Amino acid sequence: MAGKAFRDNAARAAGAPWLTLKTREMLEAWLFVSPTLIGFLIFFLGPLVAIFYYSTTEWNLLSQQATFVGLRNFHNVLLENPDFWHVVRNSVIFALGLVPLNMALALSLALALSRPFFGVVFFRTVFFAPVVTSAIAWAIVWKFMLQGEGGAVNQMLAWIGINGPNWLREPNWAMAAVIVTRVIKMVGLNMILYIAALQSIPRDYEEAATLEGASRWQVFRMITWPLLAPTTLVIMVLTTIGSFKVFDHIYQMTGGGPENGTLVLAFYIYQQGFKFFNVGYAAALALIMFVIVMALTLVQVMLRRRDME
Amino acid sequence: MKTAIKLALSAVALCALSAQSMAQELRMTVWTGNEAHLKMLNGIAAGFIAKHPGVTVKFETVPVADYTQKLTFQVAGGNAPDIAWMMEDAAPAFENAGLLMDIGPTLKATEGYNFEDFSEPAMALWQKDGKVYGMPFSTSPFLIYYNKDMFDKAGLEDPNQLAAKGEWNMQKFQEVAKKVTDANPGKWGFEFKDGEGYASRMTHALLPPVRAYGGDLWANGQCGLDKPEAVAAVKQLHDMVFKDKSIVPPGEQGDYFSGNSAMTVNQISRASKMPEAGFKWGIAPLPSGPAGEAPVIGQAALTVFASGKNTELAAQLVAEMTSRDNVAVMAQFFPPARKSVLESNAFVNSNKLIPPEQMKSVAAAIVNGRVHPSHEHVPQIFAAMAPRVDALWRADANVEDALKGVCAAIQPLL
Repeated sequence: MAGKAFRDNAARAAGAPWLTLKTREMLEAWLFVSPTLIGFLIFFLGPLVAIFYYSTTEWNLLSQQATFVGLRNFHNVLLENPDFWHVVRNSVIFALGLVPLNMALALSLALALSRPFFGVVFFRTVFFAPVVTSAIAWAIVWKFMLQGEGGAVNQMLAWIGINGPNWLREPNWAMAAVIVTRVIKMVGLNMILYIAALQSIPRDYEEAATLEGASRWQVFRMITWPLLAPTTLVIMVLTTIGSFKVFDHIYQMTGGGPENGTLVLAFYIYQQGFKFFNVGYAAALALIMFVIVMALTLVQVMLRRRDME
Repeated sequence: MKTAIKLALSAVALCALSAQSMAQELRMTVWTGNEAHLKMLNGIAAGFIAKHPGVTVKFETVPVADYTQKLTFQVAGGNAPDIAWMMEDAAPAFENAGLLMDIGPTLKATEGYNFEDFSEPAMALWQKDGKVYGMPFSTSPFLIYYNKDMFDKAGLEDPNQLAAKGEWNMQKFQEVAKKVTDANPGKWGFEFKDGEGYASRMTHALLPPVRAYGGDLWANGQCGLDKPEAVAAVKQLHDMVFKDKSIVPPGEQGDYFSGNSAMTVNQISRASKMPEAGFKWGIAPLPSGPAGEAPVIGQAALTVFASGKNTELAAQLVAEMTSRDNVAVMAQFFPPARKSVLESNAFVNSNKLIPPEQMKSVAAAIVNGRVHPSHEHVPQIFAAMAPRVDALWRADANVEDALKGVCAAIQPLL
């Protein structure tokens, strides 16, 4: 109270009668959010709007010549570039491999680690640690471990009599390898989200069901899983978006190879924009990726809504 | 209050203006961050500054892996350096985009410069219609680096001894690589340049043998990799990787500099890494082939950006850096393209790490060597090539078909 009176007095004393309490509070609010807001406008919204314009130009970064070409970039990408559909296919395979594996593993870990037991914090930390590890360092280490002959993975497989492939040099294995290493890196994040969700489910439900004679599977199937639905949706959306945006992992581990087997959309955009300097073309690709991710998200949300009804 | 602000602003503006007129800063991008290299460059710059009071020269290191990319972004962002160390593969794109200044007039007007001293093959990439877009600064042949200890262990003559006897050819190369691998279990006979022969250095891996067999990657807009000479050369490499298992295979790390491969291909600037390697080593020419000796050169030049504020001054600095005296100073790391320096004893004795008789093979390779083929669309060509080259480096690949695939992919771009 005293503080408010003081501020009111101070405002009047500053000779600003127009500065009513409401205006002042609004001004303060804007002032507080302004650092983030300015950053958002300059580094996020600005480029986002600019990319719409860039996508309609043919702009070579080196010669600095930008000519307006309308929708030609989109036409070229969608109808005249066979690479594009190959790249989309790779992105879809990556997402189809990564999302279910990541979610299944995250949920299993969360179920195992949501209740307190001796050492639970240690295990949670172990599974979460890769999330905060540098993506590049992670990829480099795995690149060494997945070497054809001298790699740790193949040496371990050799102990049990399996002759492992040259993981990162064979297209199908390379895709599998980047998916699995990516899952191990990111699963901790989804595990934490699931643990939080599991801990917020009241124990009464489970106890009541158990008293009624429900088995553990039935409890999970009929109570836990439905109650986790909102979290599952969020995780699914975020993981799908993340899998379409994957770049650093591919850049470091395979560079899109071998034989373009891991050339995914985000990496392809990078190649067009930052290797060939076709900024307009890359912008068009980025917009297409934006539409794909947006559409997938909408579909998931709608499916979920239908489920709930 | 308002007056005070106005005053302060004018003071700042005045300072900025006077600073600009007083000191002219020349900024040059280089790929090297090596202390010895930078010390030498700064020493040369000091000589220039002494003659041009008020001028400062700043060398900006950009890591080699992203060098051309970052340079392009500086240009796109309106912040091009005054002078850039330009790699051969990037040169045509920058030249065709009209970004580089014709420095010919300044160089030729510089007293005692003797422009004709630069050998014609070395200038080929940097001259067009009588205009000079760059001065070769490092004309560095590819050489074989070998691990003497590993050869001794196998009881073999090293490449240099074989070269002296005239026996250092592609057949012998395959033979010794196999023997040295067998004698050093867990290690390799040969590693491609920088260990990147299956990725960013894929053409550097193929070029020396292909040239030794009389072929080329491409020439006059025609892909050369599906020609019989190239096919024979690549078949030999393929056998060495998958049959002899004497070349570090795809997906493995067999670093020469840490003693895991008996031989590699590199340039003399890498000799600065050798004292800490911890093994006896030497350099030798590339093995000759059916087409005789075919040295390969990597080249870089100094270029001046036409958009700079001090283009004339920058061109003068280029003249200073490539003067006869300074070229001789730099020869220890960056081999010269000046004939008078190449032919001098000073060059042969310039490198503390490499004995004079081995430096002679460096000098010979510069005179006879040819640079890596260049093209305006090198990034696109490499990207089109990469997946086909991946297909080539599989144990069960049909080399001839794979190379046809490479040519089919890059021919439209050539």
